[in-house]
Amino acid sequence: MTESDAQEPGLHVQGEVALGFPPPPRTYARVAYGNTQPDAATARWLTVRPDGSVVAYAGKVEYGQGIRTGLAIAIADELRVPLSNVEVVLGDTALVPWDMGTFGSQSTARIGLQLRKAAATARHVLLEMAADRLDLPAGDLRAESGRISSTSDRSRVVTYAELIGGANIVRDLDDDIALTPSSDFSVMGKAHARVDAEARVTGRARYSQDIVVDGMVFASVLRRPWRGANLASLDISVAERMPGVVQVVHDDDLVAVLADTDEHAAAAANVLQAQWGEPAARASTIDLPEILVSSGRDPYVTQEAGSLEEGFRGASGSLEATYFVPYVSNAPMEPRAAVASWDGDRLTVWAGTQRPFGIRTELAQRFGIEELQVRVIAPEIGGGFGSKSPYPVAHEAARLSRIAERPVRVAYTRAEDMIYATMRPAAVIRIKSGFTSDGRIVAWECDTHHAGDRPFLGRRGSDSPYDTPHVKVTTYTSDSPLSTGSYRSLGAAANHFAREVHIDEVADAIGMDPVELRLRNLSHPRFRRVLECAAEAHGWQPAKGAAGRGQGIAIGVDVGSYVATAVQLDVGGQEVRIDRVTAALDCGLVVNPEGAKNQVEGSVVMGMGTALYEAIDFQNGRVLNAGFTRYRVPRSNDAPAIDTLLVGDDDTPSTGAGEPGIVPIAAAISNAVFDRTGERHRELPIQRHLR
Amino acid sequence: MVMIRINGESHEAADASRNLLSFIRFDAGLTGTKYGCGEGVCGACTVLIDGQPLRSCMTTVGAVAGGSLTTIEGLAVDGELHPVQRAFIDQQAMQCGYCIPGFIMTSVALLNRVDTPDRATIREALSQNMCRCGTYQRILRAVERAAEPDGAADD
Repeated sequence: MTESDAQEPGLHVQGEVALGFPPPPRTYARVAYGNTQPDAATARWLTVRPDGSVVAYAGKVEYGQGIRTGLAIAIADELRVPLSNVEVVLGDTALVPWDMGTFGSQSTARIGLQLRKAAATARHVLLEMAADRLDLPAGDLRAESGRISSTSDRSRVVTYAELIGGANIVRDLDDDIALTPSSDFSVMGKAHARVDAEARVTGRARYSQDIVVDGMVFASVLRRPWRGANLASLDISVAERMPGVVQVVHDDDLVAVLADTDEHAAAAANVLQAQWGEPAARASTIDLPEILVSSGRDPYVTQEAGSLEEGFRGASGSLEATYFVPYVSNAPMEPRAAVASWDGDRLTVWAGTQRPFGIRTELAQRFGIEELQVRVIAPEIGGGFGSKSPYPVAHEAARLSRIAERPVRVAYTRAEDMIYATMRPAAVIRIKSGFTSDGRIVAWECDTHHAGDRPFLGRRGSDSPYDTPHVKVTTYTSDSPLSTGSYRSLGAAANHFAREVHIDEVADAIGMDPVELRLRNLSHPRFRRVLECAAEAHGWQPAKGAAGRGQGIAIGVDVGSYVATAVQLDVGGQEVRIDRVTAALDCGLVVNPEGAKNQVEGSVVMGMGTALYEAIDFQNGRVLNAGFTRYRVPRSNDAPAIDTLLVGDDDTPSTGAGEPGIVPIAAAISNAVFDRTGERHRELPIQRHLR
Repeated sequence: MVMIRINGESHEAADASRNLLSFIRFDAGLTGTKYGCGEGVCGACTVLIDGQPLRSCMTTVGAVAGGSLTTIEGLAVDGELHPVQRAFIDQQAMQCGYCIPGFIMTSVALLNRVDTPDRATIREALSQNMCRCGTYQRILRAVERAAEPDGAADD
């Protein structure tokens, strides 16, 4: 918040920023990004304004998950105000409490809880003020719709606005305050229109790509044709003479044309004459499985129990198979863009990143200035699915703006976004299982090789949830010819694909229905519930082996939420047509059911693309299929009917809903294709391998 | 010098070869129309020309000179949302929302052309647009709702 806000009248609730941060040393964010330290111990979380309306502040960003609405709903319920009276300010480092970033489906679980506490604190303070004002015991009062009245005499009433008047009241968030029990929710758990929906349907919502500031020039950056390419020579003489060119910048590793329009910048960048140094051998798609396995290093055991030797000795049958997933592109609809503007030694950057505070730290370090001299504003973000934590265009824009001494916009084209942003790691996963004829999986050996130097990606979701007494899961870190990074559920979708197809293979080998086999090996009640609910709602018909029906199922767990997904599909020629998907999700207490369902539907559609057609191809290190004409993603006429069941109970704390939906879907599809055709698909995307 | 009308207002373009999407977004300042692919395949840049859909990223200002364009900003009349806009809100047919203006313009164009399109016709029309968040089921439902005979009166 700014100094002037701090002086403004209202009831302000301030509280601890850390919220359990920094996280334990091995968690995702610490390994990935390092910005785990808040810059201040406390910050303002919520204000009840003199007119009785509420504004809350959170360092999260809105990039499609509906968090602004989810947080507003939680606040409205705790503070007993109409949803329309709650504003949620997100992602602007000058206005909101420090936050590590929007990832790992933590927003509802952590920030939602903090804001509920802030709102409950404010309600409690208002009740005490009302008790004074009305001269009644606080216990005889109730808050409702922004007013507090006597429970016995409704005419004795005072509004929040009247209570606050022109006063400036600052209170500390009460961490132990009693929250509203789920039975008393009147806003949470019900369907609401998104609070930011109208801005989205009218074009008013502003994304990074939409930021235009006075005096701004458009940049087009010279991009490396392959990873690790070195600029051997550069001739800018023609580019400098192109229409509209303001400046051609060559600053260390950054070469860019600045021009009066986007088109002039791009045209001039096209005539930059660059020669690129040849690094060592550059890989192609066909080399990938070999690279992943042969370069595997740093074995890390994510799960170990019993003795594999003993397990396989006691098994009556065993299976060994290898699974492959290619690189896939996050390909959010909004390509990354940033605008940077310097005012003396103060820098403002608009960047649609999941980590506005992390980018602020990076920029302050780069330019040797204090973090408070840098303001990063994350406006609306047009998707990202995990990949907008790193945000190189923010750095490029800031560097170019410093040199040009005027605001600069850097925006990826679609092709740039697909090549130079990160991809989901390709992976090779080998599984060997031992089982008994009555359907007990007694031994499970799994080795995973995920591309890239961030081992936490491949570790996620690698452990088996089944009750197998003898198990060992080892993850390896492998070289990556392309740049890898976060993707919805990280490596969990790949690990689940391998595991859940393998389970289907075991069911086939034993001659048992896949649902029955799973239930026989699952004792966890939340797993059993999602599986039973999905199977029943889908109308699962038990069968052994490939029964020609096109029915498949798989289960998963991610970010603490449990999910089971059943699909019904048909295969015709080279195409798989998915008719119907039933997903059961247990993410504990559901704040915003429509929001949660929307996330599951999106996860199903996204995962369907990875199962059927998505794969990044490359040759000699160059990506071959950047752009939506060459990289096929699901369209509306591909999308199945999706039925989502929310089966968690309200007394279990909320866990994430944005990621778990993707983890079982590819396996469920592969299993359904097997059921339909008798062909087992262990390699994605399936449509490349249909006979 | 080229004159075009956008949402009822006249705009001058100095360069007839100016990309129409860039003109709309950066010169006319109407950033509700989005850049998604630059290849005419994602539909995020869809605007209406005389009521019919046009991929603005694939054309120039000169090519539409004399035409009357409508962008997402021009759909609501006197602050009253178009029935398609209302239906998208009601069905929560959005996540990140970046593709939504394009979907709405495609849908409005369809309803301009066909009074009560059936499900297959709607699906076919919508397949020209992409939503990476995967909200297709909701978008389809929203357009079906808006296409119902009383869709405009439905609150």
